[in-house]
Amino acid sequence: MTLSDHTLKEIRELPPKYPHIRSAVMPALDLVQEELGMLTQEAMTQVAQALQVDPGYVEGVATFYSLFHLEPVGKHHLYVCNNLSCQLRGAEELLTHIKESIGVSEYGQVSADGLFSVEPVECLGACEYAPMLRADHRFHYDLTPAKIDTLLKEWRGDREGKKARKEAHPRAGSH
Amino acid sequence: MTLTIDGHAVTVPKGTLIVEAAKLIGVEIPVFCYHHKLDPVGACRLCLVELSPGPPRAQTACTTPVAEGMTVRVTSPMAVKSRADILEFELTNHPLDCPVCDKGGECPLQDFTYRHGYPVSRVQEPRLHFAKPLPISDRIALDRERCVLCYRCTRYYDEVAWEQELTTNQRGVQSYIATQFDQPLQSVFSGNIIDLCPVGALTSRVWRFQSRPWDMDHTASVCSRCAVGCNVNLWERRGELMRVTARENVEIDDGWICDRGRFEYTHVNSPERLAQPRVQRRPAAWEEALSRIAAAIKGRGPRLGLSIPADITNEEAFLLARLLNGPLRGARVVMPGRTSLPGPPANQLAIKDLDGCRTIVVVAADVRADAPIVNLRVKKAVAKSGARLLTVNPELIDFDRHPGVEHVAYEPGHAAAAVRKLFDHPLLQEGPVGILYGDSAGAEDGAAIATAVAWLAKEIGAKVMPLYRATNERGVLALGILNGDSLDGCEYVFTWGQALAGGVPKGVRFLACWDDFARPYHDRAQVVIPAVTFAEDQGSYTNLEGRVQFLVPPLQPKPPLRQGWEVLQDLGLALGLGSDYLGIFQVQRDAAAAYPALAALAVPPAPAPPPAPVAMGAARP
Ligand code: SF4
Ligand code: SF4
Ligand code: FES
Ligand code: FES
Repeated sequence: MTLSDHTLKEIRELPPKYPHIRSAVMPALDLVQEELGMLTQEAMTQVAQALQVDPGYVEGVATFYSLFHLEPVGKHHLYVCNNLSCQLRGAEELLTHIKESIGVSEYGQVSADGLFSVEPVECLGACEYAPMLRADHRFHYDLTPAKIDTLLKEWRGDREGKKARKEAHPRAGSH
Repeated sequence: MTLTIDGHAVTVPKGTLIVEAAKLIGVEIPVFCYHHKLDPVGACRLCLVELSPGPPRAQTACTTPVAEGMTVRVTSPMAVKSRADILEFELTNHPLDCPVCDKGGECPLQDFTYRHGYPVSRVQEPRLHFAKPLPISDRIALDRERCVLCYRCTRYYDEVAWEQELTTNQRGVQSYIATQFDQPLQSVFSGNIIDLCPVGALTSRVWRFQSRPWDMDHTASVCSRCAVGCNVNLWERRGELMRVTARENVEIDDGWICDRGRFEYTHVNSPERLAQPRVQRRPAAWEEALSRIAAAIKGRGPRLGLSIPADITNEEAFLLARLLNGPLRGARVVMPGRTSLPGPPANQLAIKDLDGCRTIVVVAADVRADAPIVNLRVKKAVAKSGARLLTVNPELIDFDRHPGVEHVAYEPGHAAAAVRKLFDHPLLQEGPVGILYGDSAGAEDGAAIATAVAWLAKEIGAKVMPLYRATNERGVLALGILNGDSLDGCEYVFTWGQALAGGVPKGVRFLACWDDFARPYHDRAQVVIPAVTFAEDQGSYTNLEGRVQFLVPPLQPKPPLRQGWEVLQDLGLALGLGSDYLGIFQVQRDAAAAYPALAALAVPPAPAPPPAPVAMGAARP
């Protein structure tokens, strides 16, 4: 998978905003992940060329951060917090429930329909709403297996799900 | 600034790091990540010492500069314990496979653990495992389990070689060294990471399992692969050349060698090497072979063609010049692989002078290919002392990938004109300026470039460095014996070393070859005599800045092999030239007297320095 001209143009515009050209690698990789969902070798090489650094450097940065995906992920990748507060409030059960609901046996595995993948992460700083997860740049709070089902329904394109969630979680915020 | 280290007073310049100050007085502070040619990072924490005044914790000696009146304690209980603890951490994932590790015997991790670590390990937990050994190029193997994550290898690639083929992937305890997308290393500078690695994580596949550090002897010699003249150690065991490693000479190589110098040595031990003189393909004695050659080539004037090897020594060239001024007068002499650059310039720029240049200009040369280690020195000048770099080439070269390097392109074939146009280039208005020039791998007229560069240098007050390609091109040019590029039309041909790319010319009536390996055209030769290699030959080279350096061969030529100067002396006798040199020192004395450029030959090579004593080390906890 390679990058669109549009994203490449955005990447080329990054360096002047930073003191050192290497600092532009992380925002560039963000843009790549935004477009492709993951970082492919071709795309990292394209980033390297656009920023005039070596692909090896880009690779080193990409592997350092677990929020960069080097393997394919689902259209909706669920980061489920598994740190202390969330853990105490049932994160483990949620994770198991999600795996079962989307039909995967491993974290990081993509569901057959390509829509979902899930991964446990450390504290996302929303302990007061534990347990919680982050997906598509949004936080979802005070989760229960039932709420997970509603979310999944919505993401599967089920309008009923969306409506149901709006009524049930007026608090859901965006971070 | 004066400070005391374990009670010893030492005075050093401001800015000196504590590790360096300790070295001066022979106190060992163990280090992994620190290396005197790389920027300090403080990654491994092995160099912990106690400072006063200072915080109540041990501090890293590799990142802390000295201060006036500072007291450094390397052997205080706190310092000793801190380092031992770090070593214990280093060993938590270490496989301890020293018996099958090539680093064993010269391994800082072994030595430091012995001198500074706890005697037994408390670690019972499972260790991290990786697939090993991992070939990361044809010549280098990586063992990630042994790696102590000092980042010397990746920092070297980044800071010194300006490449990022080698990086660190993942983070924390999971970090490991990896090549870019698992592709093999390509750089011609890759081998230095073997010397840099403080453990057996990066080892030479060429030397792998061949011998142990303690069963080899080594000599302090000079690389024979190009005209830079990097200093090397040649390691010998039982009459074989086992490996080549860097030997730091700050004036030339700064401690680095390229992969040509490091890995191109296995031919020395090849059973295929020629060992016996042959006349008409049957074994013959030297006397017969040489008298056959002498009879055929004597007095042939320009009908005789000679090709000489790139790594001919000054002494051999001197003896050859005597023949060319006598019985072989008029012969055509060529040196395959050399540039078309003329003899030495007036205002020579020394390699070490690059460090002080304000602007460096590279004309018609891919320095990485022509003079590899000079390429690293240019990068050092740019990175460490802020030199500005201007490349003048038809195409971009490796320097041009670095932001801030200016490039001037010209039509191939018009390098000299491009040089003259640089006259009012803004970068050249402020000195000192150093100009490096080549002949674009033979594509340009070297003489024209040299003239243009000399003119420009005079106008702006610059110093210049011709980038000769052949190892002793400069030494041979000083003797004035080269007079052609091709042996076409010669009826009597004597090839020494690899003949011209085009092979032996047609219409040759007599062919003699002096070589270390059989080559297809030897079939047509009436006489073939065996040649020694750089590991057996005595003599000296003149490097591209005019410095004379001596080979110190670790091997004796195996009889009937004979050294180059002996063969040339006997050839002279067979040609009727009186000559009675009893040793190479007499040749050197005569050569020094005859040619000012070889005056340094009268000064015998300095004896090898004694091995460094083991520094005073902290006792184990
Ligand atoms: S491979 Fe060697 S040089 Fe590189 S980080 Fe590991 S221990 Fe250091
Ligand atoms: S730069 Fe030249 S002299 Fe130095 S190691 Fe390489 S081949 Fe040998
Ligand atoms: S522990 Fe889950 S958000 Fe902090
Ligand atoms: S040598 Fe000082 S921290 Fe590594």
